[in-house]
Amino acid sequence: MNLRRQLLLVSLLTLMLPWAGCEFIRETEIALRDGQRQMLADTARAVAGSMVQHSEEFPVSDGSFGAGDQLYVHRLEARPKIDGYFDDWTLPSASLRSMRGTDGPIHFAVASFSQATYLYIEVTDRNVVYATPQSLLIDGASRFADRVTLASSSPPYLKEAISFVAEAPGKIISYKQSVYGFEPEPTISAFWQDIPGGYRVEARIPSGQLGTHLGLSVQNTGNALEPGTRSSSFTGRAPGPAMSKIQELDRIAGLYVQSDTRLIITDTQGWRIGAADELVAGRGAQSGAGLAMRIYDLLLERGKEAAFAEPDPSGREQQPYVSAALEGRETGAWFRSVDTGTAIVAVAAPVTVGDKVIGAVVLQRGTDAILSLRNEGLSRLINVTLITTLVVAGALLGYATWLSRRIRALSIAAEDALETENLASALPSALAEDEIGDLSRSFSWVLQQLGEYNEYLRSLASKLSHELRTPLAIVTSSLENLEHEELNEASLGYTARAREGADRLRRILSAMSEASRVEELMQHAEPERFDLQAVLDSTTKAYRDVYKDRTFEFTSSVASAQASGSPELLIQMLDKLVDNAVDFSEDGDTITLALQEEDNALLIAVTNPGPRLPERMRSQLFDSMVSMRSSNDSRHLGLGLYVARLIAEGHGGHISADNVEGGVCFTVSIPSGCNPGATKR
Amino acid sequence: MAKRIAIVEDEAAIRENYAAAFSREGYVVDGYEARRPALDAFESRLPDLVVIDINLKDDVEGGFELCRELRARAADLPIIFLTARDSEFDAVSGLRLGADDYLTKDISLPHLMARVAALFRRLDAMQKPHGTESRITRGDLSIDTERMTIHWQDQPVGLTLTEFWLVHALARYPGHVKNRQQLMDAAQAVLDDNTITSHVKRIRRKFHAIDERFDSIETVYGMGYRWISH
Repeated sequence: MNLRRQLLLVSLLTLMLPWAGCEFIRETEIALRDGQRQMLADTARAVAGSMVQHSEEFPVSDGSFGAGDQLYVHRLEARPKIDGYFDDWTLPSASLRSMRGTDGPIHFAVASFSQATYLYIEVTDRNVVYATPQSLLIDGASRFADRVTLASSSPPYLKEAISFVAEAPGKIISYKQSVYGFEPEPTISAFWQDIPGGYRVEARIPSGQLGTHLGLSVQNTGNALEPGTRSSSFTGRAPGPAMSKIQELDRIAGLYVQSDTRLIITDTQGWRIGAADELVAGRGAQSGAGLAMRIYDLLLERGKEAAFAEPDPSGREQQPYVSAALEGRETGAWFRSVDTGTAIVAVAAPVTVGDKVIGAVVLQRGTDAILSLRNEGLSRLINVTLITTLVVAGALLGYATWLSRRIRALSIAAEDALETENLASALPSALAEDEIGDLSRSFSWVLQQLGEYNEYLRSLASKLSHELRTPLAIVTSSLENLEHEELNEASLGYTARAREGADRLRRILSAMSEASRVEELMQHAEPERFDLQAVLDSTTKAYRDVYKDRTFEFTSSVASAQASGSPELLIQMLDKLVDNAVDFSEDGDTITLALQEEDNALLIAVTNPGPRLPERMRSQLFDSMVSMRSSNDSRHLGLGLYVARLIAEGHGGHISADNVEGGVCFTVSIPSGCNPGATKR
Repeated sequence: MAKRIAIVEDEAAIRENYAAAFSREGYVVDGYEARRPALDAFESRLPDLVVIDINLKDDVEGGFELCRELRARAADLPIIFLTARDSEFDAVSGLRLGADDYLTKDISLPHLMARVAALFRRLDAMQKPHGTESRITRGDLSIDTERMTIHWQDQPVGLTLTEFWLVHALARYPGHVKNRQQLMDAAQAVLDDNTITSHVKRIRRKFHAIDERFDSIETVYGMGYRWISH
């Protein structure tokens, strides 16, 4: 990973800013909401306390009925038409209660308007069996029909049932069963409507006809001969008391309710027995919309879906916080709608008489104000931190780019200096006072040391040969003098051997100083123009004479190659290369010299079959005192190819070695018509 | 009368060795280890030949200095540089100061003796009248082997002993290629390729000074040189 990416990654840390801001806002909001809930709780407690005066209004439960045995009588806003349709009831369809029927679910609702009670029931029935005159009444009948029965009682006295059967779809006559038996009840109007897979019944019953306890049962038969099975809204033999809003409590709720709050009074089962609604719904939508809203929602704590705060359409409040209140604990809840932005704080407080819970007061308040405040703050915060983040990231990126460019420039310059061996050259950032400047200076220092070391190595051979020459002269001259003395046989042998050794030493010394002499020659050489082609041709012939056990081939792709420089030196260079080629090839091998012209450069290639060059040696091959020959070959000090390189570079060219198919190829490239004086070192 | 040779050399072992070799040849040898004592001695009496090392103790260029002073005092005194310094630059400087030869310490004693003898021979021949029997003529070139002098178009070419022998070896058989080894043998010196090359270059330059169209020494690349008579 480069420096730029690293710093970019680091700059991501600035994203902590919006996160921290969100945390702060969230904390603030929670605190605000807590405050509001506290206030709400105080109010709810006060309302619950005042409810004690109206405790007689609360329905008394003897505990013999569960909530499931009870029906809730909704209050309608308008008079529905008795036509078998539910759509003119001012109730949401969720208000329909369902129970299990023989052939599928049965949905029903009971409501009141004015002085009448309305019934709507939707029965799933695969096979609707209509009544015949025999089955119209249930008493003594041997035939059966599909039947809906509304059980009504006011224990312990009254116990009645109103039965709805149809001889045909449409208006039907209802029968009331009382202690006096079945008789048609003309005050009840009812409508039977067939629908695919069942039927619907809608009925209007004057409230006076009904008792306090209501229950619904459905008789479903497959054919007229069997009694069929019965589904019922209550479990016992008798239904529980019907629940509905109690006018007095509703009125009281209306008194206590404040703006933008909703007040619900429930009985011990959670049945809504009083309610007043001043909540303004969906007001939060203005504070943020679309994408921004979604971002905030991702960032902020979610509440429960706001729809759950609505009064339960079944008439019974079953939210956990209400249930908790009914168990005697005052509890709060927090609702929020992602789509509309509606947010509601809710508190439920138990209404207790003595230590008995007789109901609960549920108080809800819209918190859109906080939300909008929060969103406004949030959007400002997000904008500011986003800009900050971008600016910081951009600045870091730019800084990193600048930094990495400097470092790269430094590394490139250092590599260049190494490559061109121009080790004293100034590196970039050398004057900078920062760490990169330090780095540059240490680089320079290292390069300089390296240069000095290289220079030392380069001059070592000639210095050494120079220093050794005098002692060697002492040895040789002494030996030569010794030969003129009277010596016995053995001494003659020793002196001869000593002479041989001294001779070899002399040759080595002269090889060692060759490089420096070539350099010197190069500096003083006056370039002459000559035909390289002719030189190579003639030299190849000479090599054939010298190395009789090798075959030499000379191929040239040019007719004549005008070069400028010192032919003698170039020949000396060739000598080194050919000497090398001969050493690494076998008797009878063919050594090829080739000349070609390419891009204003003359390429001289010497190719010999033989072992490949080790890859790691290739770059140092032409350095001073580097030899890839086996170490016991004392004739070579690794100066031959170095001299070849000096000559090639002295002619403004360069030398390289490559492995080729089955051998090694040394290539020297010199500019055609070059001037060696122009490239003095 | 025996010739007197002075050796100015700071390295006692070498000085003694050379002195022994010269004595064996019948020369009288005086050894000096520095410039000052040598000059003091030469004040009273000049030797017949001086062998000088360039590097004299702390006097790095003392040999050059000595050569210059001697040359100023005696124009004909044969002076030979015998030194460990093998650089082209030193050789050129030495010869330019008027030395008759510039030898490196690689040279063997017999070679050195031959050189010294040849120098004396040339000196002696200078005093004798011209003899034609010792003369080789090749076109514009004439070589006096007795005096070891060379003329081109009747003008003397100032060659050192080594250069003389190289030209002599080439011109004796015109058209024949002499390789480096042969030339080295002729010059009675151990010279490497580069030294031969620069010797030939220097010879050509000296001829060019007399005749700009001189091109009698031809390079046969990879083999050697040959003399071409026009």
